[in-house]
Amino acid sequence: MSARLGLAARAAFTLLLVWLVLYPILIVVRDAAEPDALAAFVSRPGEWRVLWASVWISVASVALAAAIGVPLAFLFEWLEFPGRKTLGSLIALPAVLPPFVGVIAFLFLYGESGFVARAIQRLFGLAQPPWRLQGAAAILLVHAYSMYVYFYLFTRAGLAKLDASLLEAAQALGAGRWETLRRVTLPLLRPSLTGAALLVFMTAVGSFSAPYVFGGGFRVMTTQIVATKLNGELPLAMVETVALALVAVLGFALLRRTEGDDILTALGKGTAPRRRPIRRAGVRTFATTAGWVLAVVLLLPHLTLVLVSLVPYGTWTTETLPPVLSLVNYQRLFSEAERLRPLVNSVWMAAASTVAAVALALGAGMLVGRRRPWQFRGPIELLLALPWALPGTVFALALLTTFSKHDPLMLRWVLVGTTVLLPLAYLVRNLPVTGRAVLAGYRQLDPALDEAAASLGAGRWATFRRVTLPLLKPALAAGGSLAFVAALGDFVTSIVLYTPDNRPISIEIMSSLRVSELGVAAGFGVILMVLSAAVLGVGVRR
Amino acid sequence: MSAFVRLDGVRKQWSHTVAVGPLSLEIPRGEILVLLGPSGSGKTTVLRLLGGFETPDAGRIEVAGEDVTAVPPARRRCGMVFQHYALFPHLDVGENVAFGLPERGTSDPKVAEVLALVGLAGFERRRVQELSGGQQQRVALARALAPEPRVLLLDEPLSNLDPSLRERTRRELRALIKRVGITTMFVTHEQEEAFDLGDRVAVLHAGRLEQLATADELYEHPATLFVATFVGRANVLRGKTAQVFGAGPGQVLVVRPERLALADAGVPGVVRERRYTGAAAFYLVETELGDRLEVLARPEAARVGDRVYLEAVRVLAFPEERA
Repeated sequence: MSARLGLAARAAFTLLLVWLVLYPILIVVRDAAEPDALAAFVSRPGEWRVLWASVWISVASVALAAAIGVPLAFLFEWLEFPGRKTLGSLIALPAVLPPFVGVIAFLFLYGESGFVARAIQRLFGLAQPPWRLQGAAAILLVHAYSMYVYFYLFTRAGLAKLDASLLEAAQALGAGRWETLRRVTLPLLRPSLTGAALLVFMTAVGSFSAPYVFGGGFRVMTTQIVATKLNGELPLAMVETVALALVAVLGFALLRRTEGDDILTALGKGTAPRRRPIRRAGVRTFATTAGWVLAVVLLLPHLTLVLVSLVPYGTWTTETLPPVLSLVNYQRLFSEAERLRPLVNSVWMAAASTVAAVALALGAGMLVGRRRPWQFRGPIELLLALPWALPGTVFALALLTTFSKHDPLMLRWVLVGTTVLLPLAYLVRNLPVTGRAVLAGYRQLDPALDEAAASLGAGRWATFRRVTLPLLKPALAAGGSLAFVAALGDFVTSIVLYTPDNRPISIEIMSSLRVSELGVAAGFGVILMVLSAAVLGVGVRR
Repeated sequence: MSAFVRLDGVRKQWSHTVAVGPLSLEIPRGEILVLLGPSGSGKTTVLRLLGGFETPDAGRIEVAGEDVTAVPPARRRCGMVFQHYALFPHLDVGENVAFGLPERGTSDPKVAEVLALVGLAGFERRRVQELSGGQQQRVALARALAPEPRVLLLDEPLSNLDPSLRERTRRELRALIKRVGITTMFVTHEQEEAFDLGDRVAVLHAGRLEQLATADELYEHPATLFVATFVGRANVLRGKTAQVFGAGPGQVLVVRPERLALADAGVPGVVRERRYTGAAAFYLVETELGDRLEVLARPEAARVGDRVYLEAVRVLAFPEERA
C-alpha cells in the first residue's frame, strides 16, 4: 500500500469511528444545551441528589469490591491449603452472570420473598418478611458481589508477576513482613489495583440493573435518565445524560492518572513467591471451611436461578422451598416458537454486532496496529476506547437521539423503531473490548515475522492471511467472545432501544417478572448464564 | 571481478542527525561480505536496504544486473535470516521451511533437502518452540535458502547463541554458505566473527563506509583511525607521547600491543597491571607522561611494579581528526 493510500484509509477509518462513537455524543451535548432543561436540572434539588448518589455508590462499590477481592487474591496466591485450586477458579464465578441475571438471582435469593427471607421468617415465626431488599444497601450488596471479581483477578495477576527476589531483598534489608507489604508489595501492585478500581468504578457508574430492580425510591443517574425519558422530558434527559457522562469521564481521568506505567513488566520476569502452606491445623481447617462457605455463597445465585427455573407457574406460594419442580418451563420455551423469539433475537443481534466489532477492530489493527508512529493512531485508539469511559445509558440515549431524525446531509437517518439500532448500540459498546484485544494482539506480533514472510515471497494479503491472522486468533477469539457475552446479556441499552421486533432476552425476563412468571424469567436467566459460560469457556483460553 | 550485488550512492536519512550513506559497494558472485560496525553505525540499515525492507532516499541497488531499488521484498528474492530468527510460531519446522516454496507443501522434496543441508533431517514435524537456539538458527537458515534466493542476508544471526556454540557455528555456517555458493551479506558487531566468516569485511561508522578489505588488510593497513581502533586492540597516542614515538605534528599514533616490546632502552614506564593469558601476558605500563599503554609480551617478561622501557616495532600514523 502506498503511503498516500494508507493515509487516506486511516483518515477514512477515523471518520467512520467519529461518526459511530463521537458524533452521537456531540448531538446529545448540543441538545442538552437548552436553557429550559438546564434550568430545570440546576434548580431541582432531586437532580443533584441523584448525581451525588451515582458518585458515592460508585466510590463505595470500589471500596467494597477491593475489601473483598484483594485479601482473597493474597489468600489464594500466597497461601496453600486444601481445595485452593478448585476454590480459586470457583471464586471467579460471578463473572459468568450477566448483570441483569445476577440481579434477579439476588431477588430470588435475598429479596423479601426470596429463599433466605422465607427461611428466616419461617424459622422465627415472623408475620412479616424480615427485611426488604431495597435502596442503597441492596445496590451495594449486588455491586460488591459482582465486582469484587475484578479486584480478585487483577490482584492475583499482579501478584503472580511479582518477583520473589524483590521481597527477599526487602527482608534482607531488614524490613519485616508488614513493612515489606507496605513498602514493596503494594507499591508494585499499584497498576493492578488502580486498573481494577478503574474497571469497578466505570461499571458501577454505568450500573443500571441493580438500581432499576432494587432502587425503590433511591435513584441513581442511570435510572433517573430512563425515568425522565419515559416522562417525556427528553431535553432534561439529555442534560442528565451529559452530567452522568461528565462524572464517568472525570472518574476515568482521575484513576487513569494514578494508574502509572506497568513497572512490573518493565523490570522483566521473575519467579513468583512460593505459596506458604498454613501450618497450624486449626487455622488450616478454618481457612478451608471459610473457603468452602464462601464458594457456596458465591454459587447460591446460580443455584437459585436453576431452582426457580424449575418452578411451574402458580405452584409456589408461601412455602420456604418450592413444592413442585418440573421442566415444564423449558419445554414450553422450546416448543412454542413465539416464546423462543427473544433468545433468537438476542443471539442474532449479539452475533452480528460482535462480527462487526471484531471487523472494525481488525481494521484498526491493520491500519495502526504496528509499532510505528502512524498518523491518526492516537485518535483511532481513543475513539475505540471512548465507549468504555461512558455508561451504556449515555450511548443508548445518544444513539436514540441521533437516529430519530432524517437528515442524510448530517449523516443522520431514522433508525428508531427499526431492528438495526439495538445491534448498532451493542456494536458501539463493544468496540473497546474487541479493539483492546486486537490492538494488544497486534502489538505482540514480532514485526520481523512480516518481513520474514515478505522475504520469502509473500505479498501483503498472503502475509495477512498466512501469518497475521493465525497469530491473532487467540486475541480475536477472546475479544469476540467477551463482546458476544456482553451483547447477549445487555439490559442497559436494550431497555432504551428495543422494539417489539427485536425484544432481547433481558427484556423478556423483565416482562416475565412483571406478570410473576418467575419460572420463565429464571429459565431465560439460566439459558443466558449457560450460553455465556460456554462462549467464554471456548473463547477466553490461555 | 564482476559485481553481482551493487549499491551505488545509496542513502537513507532517518532524521536530521542520523543518516546512512551515501554508500557504494559491490559484492562479486559467491562472496561473503561482512558488514562490521558498532551499534548505530547503520550496518543493519544497509542490509535492510538490500533486502527491500527500507527504501533508499537516493541511490540505486542492483542484483544480477537488475535494478531492484523499487522492487518490494516479496519479489526481490533475497533470503533473510533475522536476528531473533522470526520463525512463525504457529507453524512447525517443515511448514516454516515450506513457507516460501511455490507449492508450499511440506512434502516438497526441497524441504527435506534444505533441512538435511543444515543438519536437521527429520525435524519436519517438530514445533519451533521445542528447538534449541542453535537449531532455531539453522531452521531460519533452511527457510531462507529453500526458495533458492539470489542473495542471502544474515542479521547478527549468532548473537543469541552461547559463546562456546557461537565459534563452532560460525565455522559451520561459512562452510555451508560456501557449499551452496550463494552471494551473502552478513551483519555483525563482533570483529572476530567478521574475520572468521567474511571473504571481505566492510567497516561502517556513523553511516559511512570506512574501509572495505580483507581481514589482514584491515588489521595491518587500516585506512582510518576508526578502523585502526575498532578492529583489533590498539593503543592510541596523542600529543607528547605520540611525538616520543615519532609522530609528526597533528598526527595520532596507533600501536598494537604486540608491536610494543619491553626493551632495555626506550620510553620509560612502570608496570601497573599484568593480565596472564597463557601463551603470553598483557602488561599495562604507565609512562612518565601519565599514558597507560597495553603491551603484549612473554609471560615472564616483567612483574607488577617493575620499571621498564618501551620500544615500538611498528606504529600507524593518522591525521588528528577534528571532532
